[in-house]
Amino acid sequence: MVLSEERIILMTRMASYEQGEGRDNVKIGNYFRSDYITVQVLKSIVCGTIAFLIMFGLYMICNYKEFLENLYETDLFAFAREVLTRFCTMVGGYTVLTYVVCTWKYVSAKKSLKCYYHNLKKLGSMYKDR
Amino acid sequence: MTVLLEMKERLKLIYSKSEVFIVPIVKFLLAFITFNTLNDIMGYMALLDDMKIVLIAALACSFLPLGAIVLLGAVFSLMHMYALSMEVALVGLGVYLIMYLLFFRFSPKDSLVVVFTPLLCALRIPYVIPIVVGLLCVPSSAVSVGCGVAVYYLLVLVTESAPNIRTMGKEEALDKIRLLVESFVANKAMLVIIAAFAITVVVVYLIRRMSVNYAWTIAMIAGAMINTVVLLVGDLYYEINLSVGSVLLGSLLAIAVAKVIEFFRFCVDYSRTEKVQFEDDEYYYYVKAVPKMAVPVPSRTVKKINTQRSGEPTGGAREDSGYSGGKGRQGARTVTTERSVPRGTVQQGGRAGTADRDMSGSMQQGGRTVSGRPRSQGARTVTTERTGGGGKNDRNTGRTQGRSVTIGRTANSQSNSGEEEEWP
Repeated sequence: MVLSEERIILMTRMASYEQGEGRDNVKIGNYFRSDYITVQVLKSIVCGTIAFLIMFGLYMICNYKEFLENLYETDLFAFAREVLTRFCTMVGGYTVLTYVVCTWKYVSAKKSLKCYYHNLKKLGSMYKDR
Repeated sequence: MTVLLEMKERLKLIYSKSEVFIVPIVKFLLAFITFNTLNDIMGYMALLDDMKIVLIAALACSFLPLGAIVLLGAVFSLMHMYALSMEVALVGLGVYLIMYLLFFRFSPKDSLVVVFTPLLCALRIPYVIPIVVGLLCVPSSAVSVGCGVAVYYLLVLVTESAPNIRTMGKEEALDKIRLLVESFVANKAMLVIIAAFAITVVVVYLIRRMSVNYAWTIAMIAGAMINTVVLLVGDLYYEINLSVGSVLLGSLLAIAVAKVIEFFRFCVDYSRTEKVQFEDDEYYYYVKAVPKMAVPVPSRTVKKINTQRSGEPTGGAREDSGYSGGKGRQGARTVTTERSVPRGTVQQGGRAGTADRDMSGSMQQGGRTVSGRPRSQGARTVTTERTGGGGKNDRNTGRTQGRSVTIGRTANSQSNSGEEEEWP
């Protein structure tokens, strides 16, 4: 059996891709675009909410004295509204950022996978032509 | 330059041969230095500030993925914080969680950046980081650099606040948290450095991707300048007391380190740039091809193996037990090998495969130069002749063996008939 240099190079490149960035791309490629982005956006909402709660907790610990001293004079609805506004701004911004990044990631993963599958096809045809 | 390129090829060869051992050793060293530095900076928990624990942790990291160094580093620092005060550890945990939840999700593979940034900050050479990251990574790595800087400043803050925190009693638990959080958020120096490093990473990345000659060199110099300018402006605006001298010296050092990295990662010969233009049914193509600089590593090939019938060693032979044959054999064996070291040669596109297989074949491509040196300037041919003779003088096998090495330098790479001198 004669070794084909071109085939070996192609197989090596593809194997290297499969073990490197290809692994992540294949995972992404298993999803439909909308599914992938939805899952990532949901993850972002959860992560953003937890991060906001940690930040809010730290803020309250830092300012608990002032808060308790002025508790009866504070408009609690206005305070809650402000907290909610900040929460929506932060989580909303983070979600939009996630949407943009994940869309870009999905598109580039698909492009890369397309090239990979093309090479796979080429490899198959090399074996057929043998 | 040729010597450097040869050295680079040798290093690459060594790495590819011993990758299995080199990678764990490097990981071990990195983890060891990281944990040791953490213990030096903090060192509040006596249990962790022990060489045995550090060695065990570093050894574990050598076989685990790179993320393990980040995780164990975070655990080490949190335990030191806990030894100082539980409230400090809570703040530390909160900061780490926020970073993990918000930022690491977008660049999970930047573990090295996250480890190196605080480490180099602690070693007082932080300006290397944004330039190197800009050259080797993607713009999103700026997030990891920012996180690394924030971690460093958190550790410094804990260290600086430790005397105050120790004097506070248990009833002042919330005040401890307040002290740390307010100092951390109001740290202008940290914010300025994060901004400067993030801008530098993006600028270096954008410039090094441009299709101009010497893009990497331009990128690193521009990056160092922008980093310096942003830091100095930040210093003027927020009065963060940066030392101008250290910024300038650090930037020069960063450029030097970046040049070394460029040599290993992006060593191209712009003098042989080719611009081609062609078309197919759908597109016009404007292609700029810049060849990589590379020289083949000298290789040794066995030319001929002669078997001599006489038991006498040849002239110039010496004792060497390395080339032994059968015990008590009468005949001598002569192995002639040839080692070729092309001078001033380059391989287009850095493909070393051809040279490894057939050195003379690669040199026949001919005429290409590195830095104006003609390719046919001379190939060095080393002829090694090894003679193993039967006799009683061999130390280990009871046979006499000799080795004579002949070095010849030939003007033409295809010819081996140069002047020869004999090694004793």
